[in-house]
Amino acid sequence: MIRASGILLALFFAATTWLVATAPTDSMQGAIQKILYVHVPCAFAAYAGFIVTGVSGALYLWRRDERFDWWALAGAEVGVVFCTLNIASGPIWARGTWGHWWAWDPRLTVTLILWFIYLAYLMLRSFTEGSERTARFAAVYGILALAAIPLNYYAIDLFGGAAMHPENLERDSLGAGMRLPFAASVLTGLIALWHLVTVRQDIARRHAEVPEITG
Amino acid sequence: MVCQSLSKRFGRAVALDALELVVEPGEGVALLGPNGAGKSTLLRLIAGLARPSAGHLAVDGTPAHQREARARVGYIGHATLLYGELTARENLVFAGKLHGVPDPGARADELLAEEELAPVAGDRVQSLSRGMSQRLAIARGLIHDPPLVLLDEPFSGLDRAAARRLTDRLQRLRAGGRTVVLVTHELSRAAELSTASLVLSRGRVVHTGRSEDAAGMEHAYLAAVEGRA
Amino acid sequence: MREGVALCLKDLLIEWRSRDRVVSTLLFALLVVLVFHFALPGGATARTQENAPGLLWVAYILAALFGLGRAFSLELDNDAIAGLALAPVERGWIFLGKAAANLVILALAQAVTALAFALVFELDVFAVAGRLAGLVLLGSLGLCAIGTFFSAVAVRTRFREVMLPLLMLPLLVPVLSGAVRATTSLFETGSVPFDAVQLLIVTDAIYLIGSFLLFDFVVDE
Repeated sequence: MIRASGILLALFFAATTWLVATAPTDSMQGAIQKILYVHVPCAFAAYAGFIVTGVSGALYLWRRDERFDWWALAGAEVGVVFCTLNIASGPIWARGTWGHWWAWDPRLTVTLILWFIYLAYLMLRSFTEGSERTARFAAVYGILALAAIPLNYYAIDLFGGAAMHPENLERDSLGAGMRLPFAASVLTGLIALWHLVTVRQDIARRHAEVPEITG
Repeated sequence: MVCQSLSKRFGRAVALDALELVVEPGEGVALLGPNGAGKSTLLRLIAGLARPSAGHLAVDGTPAHQREARARVGYIGHATLLYGELTARENLVFAGKLHGVPDPGARADELLAEEELAPVAGDRVQSLSRGMSQRLAIARGLIHDPPLVLLDEPFSGLDRAAARRLTDRLQRLRAGGRTVVLVTHELSRAAELSTASLVLSRGRVVHTGRSEDAAGMEHAYLAAVEGRA
Repeated sequence: MREGVALCLKDLLIEWRSRDRVVSTLLFALLVVLVFHFALPGGATARTQENAPGLLWVAYILAALFGLGRAFSLELDNDAIAGLALAPVERGWIFLGKAAANLVILALAQAVTALAFALVFELDVFAVAGRLAGLVLLGSLGLCAIGTFFSAVAVRTRFREVMLPLLMLPLLVPVLSGAVRATTSLFETGSVPFDAVQLLIVTDAIYLIGSFLLFDFVVDE
């Protein structure tokens, strides 16, 4: 089934790829800097994914409508993939620029915690029996964990490691000609999240409906 | 107590399917039916232990899962809901405090006397016999003197003397104006303790009748058990 | 609220009768201290003293994971949790009552562990005893809130011993972070930095209130 989100994604992906390929190379970091165009959108998508999960869970508890749980599951399963990509691309970039594989800087650390939260969420779902109870427990965890993310950021920011992340958005460290590809890539990432979550949610819906047809 | 189009699903499994039921105050109702018909689920929903998936369920006009409704319902289920390490009296006093009973100690003593458990009041529940635990469980369910009493197969595992005692107890409750909803497999008990009997099958009420109509009830019950309903 | 108090007292009474949770949690915590001693050979050096506050909180978290797991399993016998669910009270009070009882049980283990740490790492706890107790209480509020809440969730899943740490630990980072910072500062300078305390207060508040409001959904069926 061809979706609007799919078409939009294809277009954006094509446009972004071209923009990234033609974007100027960073004078200090070299070509590896272009990983930024993958790493950062993945971060946005990872956080957006968990917001989808947390909010859908809350809606499920409010309305007790199974469909919200499908969105919550989709958000988590797609979000965790983006989170993993983000955490995997981080060290590649770090090694190329800062010289070592990992640094406990606030943003990376919070995203790592988000990754653990995602995994705990998915494990909770898989170890709970009964779809109604699973939806309920997952929703409750999603809400608390969503509230915990800003807390985590605040905590790590106060006491965490050295801030080595380039402050792209605040301090204008993006060179000339990079802003457009950067914006495009972030948008592409979010559209990708939207598209994949919608697809995954649809799969969940069909999976839920099948036994009724055959049973 | 009113059920309107009450449904309960556990994932794909439908436990209650658009069930309709009205119980007037002071009535005695027996719920019969094969295992898996949804009788226990219905009782748990009325007690506020679970929420409906669809439909409405109200006790005296208040939705069953709200606090005010729970205060008016006493539930005695399969499990005793007792703490093994506490004594019989301590269990009752704790239950009394949970339900906001004004003088839990006095009420506990009263119930212990009624259930003839006074001699073991100071014994830990884990040392009581099964029959005594069941009597204590009933006392616990009645600690707050609820107008609506729900019992889920209270006769299972009881010897004849104990069953007789329980029947008398429940008849006294009914005489005192309480509404009793009883799940049982024993048609004779149903006839003694209720005026109306309902047969449930696969989450729906398939037959309603007067409990004294033993032949009719038996027929309907067997039909449900054999899957004909 | 009375019902929450009644539940807390009931739990403490049961605990007093059997004493199994306090004793086992305490033993576990002391074993952890022993393990730390062997993991950091050289005893109480300046370096290990620097890390001692962090290790103390690791010991506390491990003890909590160990002890909290049992918090709701006693409610599964005879389906006692249904007894709690039947009560005409807001279910958040059930959560608070349980969390309070857990806090008391944990506190006993924590106090002895602090003494053990003082011995092994040659820390002068007595000079800062009052403020340390306050700090530990503040951190433990968050610990017990999240721990009690997820213990109720985990107890109804398939691998409860594994689920509880998985659920708890990512959410405990703010508590750990603030508590360790504050405790380190307390031992080094005798004073506690306000930003750490603020973090702990905010975290505790969010976790306690969130758990209180959401507990109904955990007990429901």
